[in-house]
Formats: sequence, C-alpha cells, structure tokens
Amino acid sequence: MAPMGENVKIAIRATKDFFSGLIFIFFGVLVVLVARNYPMGSAVSMGPGYFPTLLGGVLTLLGFIIAARALWVSGEEVKSLALRPLVFVLGANLAFAIMVRSLGLVLATLALVFVSSLGGWEFRLREVTVLALALMALSVGLFVHGLGLPFNVWPQ
Amino acid sequence: MKRMLSAWRLVLAVALLTIPGGSALAQTYPAKTIKIVVPFAPGGISDVLARVLGQKLNESWGQPVVIENRPGAGTTIAADFVVKSPPDGYTLYFIDITTHAINASLYRKLPYDSIRDFSPVMLVTSTPLMLVLHPSVPAKSVKELIALAKSKPGQLNIAHSGLGTITHLTGEMFKSTVGVDMVNIPYTGSAPATTAVLSGEAAMIFSTMPPAMTHTKAGKLRAMAVTTPKRVAAAPDVPTMIEAGVPGFESVLWNGILMPPKTPKGIIDKINSEMRRILQMPDVKERFFAQGGEISAGAPEQLAAHLKSEIEKWGKIIKASGARAD
Amino acid sequence: MTDLLNNLILGFSVALTPMNLLYCFIGASLGTLIGVLPGIGPIGTIAMLLPATFALPPVSALIMLAGIYYGAQYGGSTTAILVNLPGESSSVVTCLDGYAMARQGRAGPALAIAALGSLFAGCVGTLLIVLFGPPLAELALKFAAPEYTSLMILGLVCAAVLAHGSLINAFGMVILGLLLGLVGTDVYSGMARFTFGIWALNDGIGFVVVAMGLFGFAEIISSLEQKEKRELFTSKVAGLWPTRADLKASWGAIMRGTAVGSILGLVPGSGPIICSFASYTVEKRLAKEPGRFGKGAIEGVAGPESANNAAAQTTFIPMLTLGIPGTATMALMLGALMIHGIPPGPQVMTQHPELFWGLIASMWLGNLILVLLNLPLIGIWVRVLTIPYRFLYPAILLFSCVGIYSLSNNSLDVILAALFGLLGYLFIKLGCEPAPLLLGFILGPLMEQNLRRALLISRGDPTIFLTRAMSLAFLLLAALMLFLMIAPTVRRRREEVLHE
Repeated sequence: MAPMGENVKIAIRATKDFFSGLIFIFFGVLVVLVARNYPMGSAVSMGPGYFPTLLGGVLTLLGFIIAARALWVSGEEVKSLALRPLVFVLGANLAFAIMVRSLGLVLATLALVFVSSLGGWEFRLREVTVLALALMALSVGLFVHGLGLPFNVWPQ
Repeated sequence: MKRMLSAWRLVLAVALLTIPGGSALAQTYPAKTIKIVVPFAPGGISDVLARVLGQKLNESWGQPVVIENRPGAGTTIAADFVVKSPPDGYTLYFIDITTHAINASLYRKLPYDSIRDFSPVMLVTSTPLMLVLHPSVPAKSVKELIALAKSKPGQLNIAHSGLGTITHLTGEMFKSTVGVDMVNIPYTGSAPATTAVLSGEAAMIFSTMPPAMTHTKAGKLRAMAVTTPKRVAAAPDVPTMIEAGVPGFESVLWNGILMPPKTPKGIIDKINSEMRRILQMPDVKERFFAQGGEISAGAPEQLAAHLKSEIEKWGKIIKASGARAD
Repeated sequence: MTDLLNNLILGFSVALTPMNLLYCFIGASLGTLIGVLPGIGPIGTIAMLLPATFALPPVSALIMLAGIYYGAQYGGSTTAILVNLPGESSSVVTCLDGYAMARQGRAGPALAIAALGSLFAGCVGTLLIVLFGPPLAELALKFAAPEYTSLMILGLVCAAVLAHGSLINAFGMVILGLLLGLVGTDVYSGMARFTFGIWALNDGIGFVVVAMGLFGFAEIISSLEQKEKRELFTSKVAGLWPTRADLKASWGAIMRGTAVGSILGLVPGSGPIICSFASYTVEKRLAKEPGRFGKGAIEGVAGPESANNAAAQTTFIPMLTLGIPGTATMALMLGALMIHGIPPGPQVMTQHPELFWGLIASMWLGNLILVLLNLPLIGIWVRVLTIPYRFLYPAILLFSCVGIYSLSNNSLDVILAALFGLLGYLFIKLGCEPAPLLLGFILGPLMEQNLRRALLISRGDPTIFLTRAMSLAFLLLAALMLFLMIAPTVRRRREEVLHE
C-alpha cells in the first residue's frame, strides 16, 4: 500500500475481466432502460417488466463487481482483436443474407465464398474460384434439388 | 404530323400488347412452380393439411408445388409477404381463423388490410372446438358447470393455448356470454395447454378436436360440448353448446386459401375448382375427417363473406376481453 | 412375462420385414444427413416427407419418421465434435469436450464413443419403454408449473458449473443468456419485449441462430486469428478407435448419462434439452480432476451423448402412451399418427399392438443401424478434417448460413447469427464461456413462464414451491449445488486473507 499523501494512481489494468464487466454493465443497463416502459406488477403478480428489470439490475451489479475486482486483481491482458478475419467472415454472412433472396442462392454462395476467403491466411484466386464453383454446384444440388428447400436459385 | 401519328400508333400498339388478358393468362396457367405459403412452423395440423393439398395439386397439375413455411410474429410476416407477392397465381396462402379473422383486431396496426389486400379463393375446412373438463370437476353438464362457476367466482382455472388463439377467445366468449368469472391460464401452444388439463393444473379448456377426442376416449377428460351449431359426426354423443344451454354460441376453427391482391378471377376460379375436386377425393376426405373436421369447399365469395363476418364477431370479443398483441 | 415376450416377438416380426427394414434404414440415413447439416433439423424434414408417407402403411411411415428423428441426434453430435457447430440444443454440450478432442486429433475416439454410448443408451431406453411405459408416462403428468420452475432453477445453477473459469463470470453469462431469451412476445400480456419494433423478433431469437453464431462463427474467426498458417486440426490423427483407457473412463459416464437421460426425457417440454447439460454437470462433479473438462475429457462426450439418446427414446413414451407430445418433434409425430388415422393414447397398445411394438422394435433396430452406419463413416469424417482449413471454413459458413436461413426463410436470422458471431468472438477473447449463456437462453424464458404460471395458479402464494415435494427437492438440490460451488472459493479466500 502506498503511504498517505502520495499520489496513488489507480492503473486501469485492461484485463479481460475488466472488459467482461463492462459488457455486462452495458447489457444490464440497456435492459433496465428498455424495460422501464413495461408494466411491472408485483412480486406475486409479475408484469412483463418485472423479471427483465430484476435480472438487468443483477447483471449490472455483477458487471460492476467483476470490473471493480479487475482493477485490483491482476489478470490476463486482452490480446488485440484480429480484425481481418472478423470483418470478412461476418461480412460474408451479411453478403449472403442480403443477396440470397433477391439475387438467388448461386450468387449469394459465390459472394460468401469469396468474401470469407479474403479473411483467411492467404488468398489464391484460382483455388478460391474452384472452391466457389464447387460449393455453388453443391448447394444447388443438395439444398434445392435434394432437400427441396425453397431457395431462389437465380436472380428474380 | 405524320411522324407524330405513327408514334402514337406505336405507343398504342405497345400498350395494347402489355395489357394482361385475365382469361388468356388463366389458359396457360399453371406453367411453373406453385408456392403455398404456410404461416406456421412445419408440423402443426394446418401445415400438414397444406402439405396434403399441395401434394395432390402437384399430382393433378404436374407442376411442382413447394410449401414455404414463414412462421413468425403471429403469422403477420407471412401475410405481409403474400400481400407483396405478384398476383400471377403462383402464390397461395393457407390461412386459418387466427391469421386473418383474429389478427385483424388483435393487432392495433397491421401493414396490410385483412380484407382488401387479399383475394379469397376458398374456405377449406371447418373444425369445432370441444369443451373438455378434468374428471375431478363436479359438473356433468354445461349447465352444472355454469352453476359451479357462478358459485365459485375466480376459483376455476381455464387453460388456453396463447393470447389471441381461438382457444383463448372462445373461452372469453363463453365467460362473457354466461357471465362467470374464471381465471385464464395461458400456455404456449395447445399441447402444453391440454397436458395441463390432463394433470389437473387447469380445470378445463376449449380444445381442438384431435387431442380432445384422444383423451375423452381414454377417459382422462370429460367431453362437455362442441362449439359448432350442429353435432359433429366424429363425436355424435356430445351435445352442442347451443343444445347444452348457451344460445347462439358458435366458434369454429377454419382453414382457407387466399391469394395476393388483384389476382385475376380466371386463376382464382381455376384453383377453386381444382381444390374442390381434390377435397372430394376419398383419401383426402378421410384424413381431414380424422381431425374431426368438415370440408367446406365453397366458392370464393363464401370465404369473402365468412371472413368479413368472422372479423366482426371476433373483433367485438377481442375488444371486450382487452387482449392485444403489439 | 409371456405377454411381453409375445409382444416383442410381434414387434420384431413387424420390424424385420424387408420393407420396414428398408424404411428404417432410409429414415436413419436421412436423419443422420439432416443432423450433420447445421441448422436443418428433423422437424422440417419430417414435415416435408409426411405427405409422401401417406401411401405407406402407418407402421412403415412411423418407422421411417422415427428413424429420421434419432438419426438426426447422431448427426448433430458429429458436427458438434468436428466443427463446433451444435445443430440441436442437445448437441451444445458435446461441442465443449468433443471439439477439443477433435483439435487434439482425437475426433475418431470422440465420434466412436458418442456412437457406442448412444447405442447403449438407446437399448436401455427402448427397454424402459417396453417394461415401464405407461407408469412412467403417468409420472410425466405429475409435473406442473411449480416443479418446472424449480427444475429450471436447478438447471440454471448447474449451468454455471459448466464453466471452468470464474464463477461470478459464469453467472453473468447465464443471466445475459436469460435476458436474450426473453426477447419476444410475453405469453401473459401479449406484449413484445425487446423487439425494437422488428416483427420477426416477436417470436424471439431462434436457438439455432444464437448457437451457430456463438459457437460456430466465433470459432472460425478465432481460428483464423493465428498468424501462422497452422492447420487447425493436428494432421497426426491418433487412431480412430477409443483406447482402453478411454473405454474405462467412459463406461461409468455412459451408465450415468443413460440414467439421467431416461428420466429427464420423460419430462414434457424441457427434459430432452437439459438432460445433456445435467449429465455433463454430473460427470464434472464426480470427476477426480474437474479441470480436464472443456479440454477434451472423454467423459464429457460419453455422458451427454448417452443422455441425449436415452431421452430421445423415452420422450416417445408420453406421446405414445398418453398422447402428450413433449417436444415440437413429438407433436409432429403425433400429427403424423393422427393423419394416418391412429389417435395416440392408452388404446394404441391394445388396439394397434403391431404398430406400438413394431415401432419399439424398430427403434432398437434403428439404433443398431445407426451405429453400423456411423462407425465406418468416422474414417471419412476424420479424413474430411484433414482438408486444408481454407477450403473447409467457407464450406462450413455456407452450410450454416443455408441452414439458418431455411429456418424461417428470413435473412434477418443470418444477420443475427453474424452478430452473435461477433459477440461470441469477443467472449472468446475475454475468456467468457458461451455454454452457460446458451443454457440460460433456453431455460430462462421457460422459468419465467412457469414461475408466473405457478403464482397465477396458487393465486399469489409463493410457498407453493416449497410445499410440493418434487419442487422442494429440486430447490434443495439447487441450493446444495450452489453451496458446493461457492464453498471451495470461500475457503480459498479465507486462506488468502489469513495469510496476509
């Protein structure tokens, strides 16, 4: 413990727990805020707002405890986020989601394969093209013809 | 001047070519895959019925028939999808009383108009509900039940399969018509609701026919009355609610087929007559009958009129009960 | 006894006809395929094939449909182990240790133990149906709202045990999962909660959406993070068969899992979902080194897989004998029975004995067929894992997206899954575990519904949870588990304090 009078700097150790706590606080507060418009009722006759508010409060509290404890207890540091895989993998999903209804399964698959491959370790155009073609054929053959799932195969 | 005349002639010719001839279209129909939109998750009775019809349609017309389940948001998602589909006859919408008659009043604002935005094709089946009681309840007839309920206000539990379902609203109609106070216990679906009555957690439910028949035959539940104006062939010993002493009480679970707005009459009639033919097939009849239902199979106007009267009737009950969905 | 023997002979004579064997095989294979494909579940397939079965005699139709159902269980475990994708809620737990084993080159033993454990459990489950069918079904009826609530509470407490990190963190995840589960329309008031005006969310967020995002997508992103071009799965596959040590470690887990699954499978609604979690908890509690769990402990696969399959069999009991469907798939089977003109209930055994016993015999046969089908496939699966990851992961993504989209033909589901992928990745970086969140997600809404229902029925009297025997038992068990979890931490803290 530092002697009295000296400037005690509380170093915010950017540990994993600290951020977990923050996430919990974020969600907890969000829930309580949204739920404040829902009728509460009482403990024995709960309204739609009772349970969420209660849980949101508990979550916020837990978040504070975790984050606060992270300030004192040393823990693991957070390694940086790998943005490239994150953006491209999720981007591939989003591309698929946006394209599949209007542009059809084939084009959506094409987009998904290309975009997600960009998030990988390396991108070899020939390989990715072959993979895309194979998966396009597979998806139409298996999902549309084999399982009868109602997909638009081509653009409308 | 001459150039303008020929230009106008060209425009006129093009315009005439693009006017769709309703009957001409009906002659070449069906030419591609027909889609039946089912607003429920696969597996429910309505979904199974739709699949039966779809398969038969595929057999008779030779075109692939695809069932597209679009459950969600109390079937409003499917309805919205159908409204926005092209009126070319390739989208059919298989509905039941909840999706149209009840939702029209249950939701305060819908992105479509339940009557104007759809072309009615046909009323397919009508099934009654059956009031069933847990055997421990000391009432052998509907009259005795009413007397019991009046003597014990707020003590009897009546189960239902969810806010705004036909089981719920029939219960509300019953309570308000005879003037009793019973406590609603909601469940998520008819299976848990019926199970609750079986275990005695709730005293009664206005159940759909299949589980009601199963359990009353097994002696686990007591059949009190059916909610149609006439007795049901599948349960000939069970009186109707009207016979049992509740005048004018009618609640029928029905299925129907709708199509997107402004679908040409030729196509509607074609589908209507084909469906009628299918519904007369003995194996189809048998399967529908197994659900305790009756085939209606009328003209498109029958559905239109029925829809209107149902929306009005249930609208009043929904308002009185205060039920709403957001 | 001779009665039983006669019935069994009748059953097998029905099940062993070439046609029924064929349908059993078709159903089981189709089910396995469906189970392997993430997102696409048995319900959709069964519903789709239902009209096609009308031409078949009822027994054959049911045999095939039942085959699809438990075939899907096997298939679901396969993807859970191979690529960390839980297709069904019951496969989530298998992901925990199964996938870890796959990363260590031990996918073969994991798959084999899953298959063998499931076979054992399936046999026992079928036996239970035969011997104790109707009385067990009656037991299912004893469950009412208070019992469900207490069972859910127990389940939620166990959820925190699943984690091997900090306890308070796990509780946070459980609660977060609970809150996510509450998105949607409230059963009692009809009010849409946390939907922010999006209609598609009125029915809540789908389980598959959350699971695929949190487990599958997050895992892919995390794997791609490694800077070196390391292959994800050690190419040195350490043999396809479980070692003797594996078998020795697993057999206890298999027994216990079977017991847990058989009992919980009877509980309508939530039983089959939580049985795998319950089995995992039991195994972790009983293990000498609980730290192994989550890193490739074979008991973590053997127990839950056996529990799953036992539940898959016993869940038929309430449906066949009483006409009470426990899960959505059972409701569909019920519908199938009715469409074929056979209303289920106690009279099925007496009026249609060839159907009842034929189905039962076929279920046993189906389990056997599945093991015979799946064991050779293990070699193929293991080889699939050796495909370079850069080809594998786009395929996994594609299958996942297709599966998710096919749930409700709604693009929003895929977008949501992507968001959960982001969340799941953040959690991986922060050391928060997704499994407790998923369990909270499943159990939370059920618990709230039953809590409110119990209070509604008791007219506001909270002591109902304590006055009913089973409910009280569950609550005491939950309290005990809580105590067992906190006690070591408390003791450790006290020691730390004493040392200063």
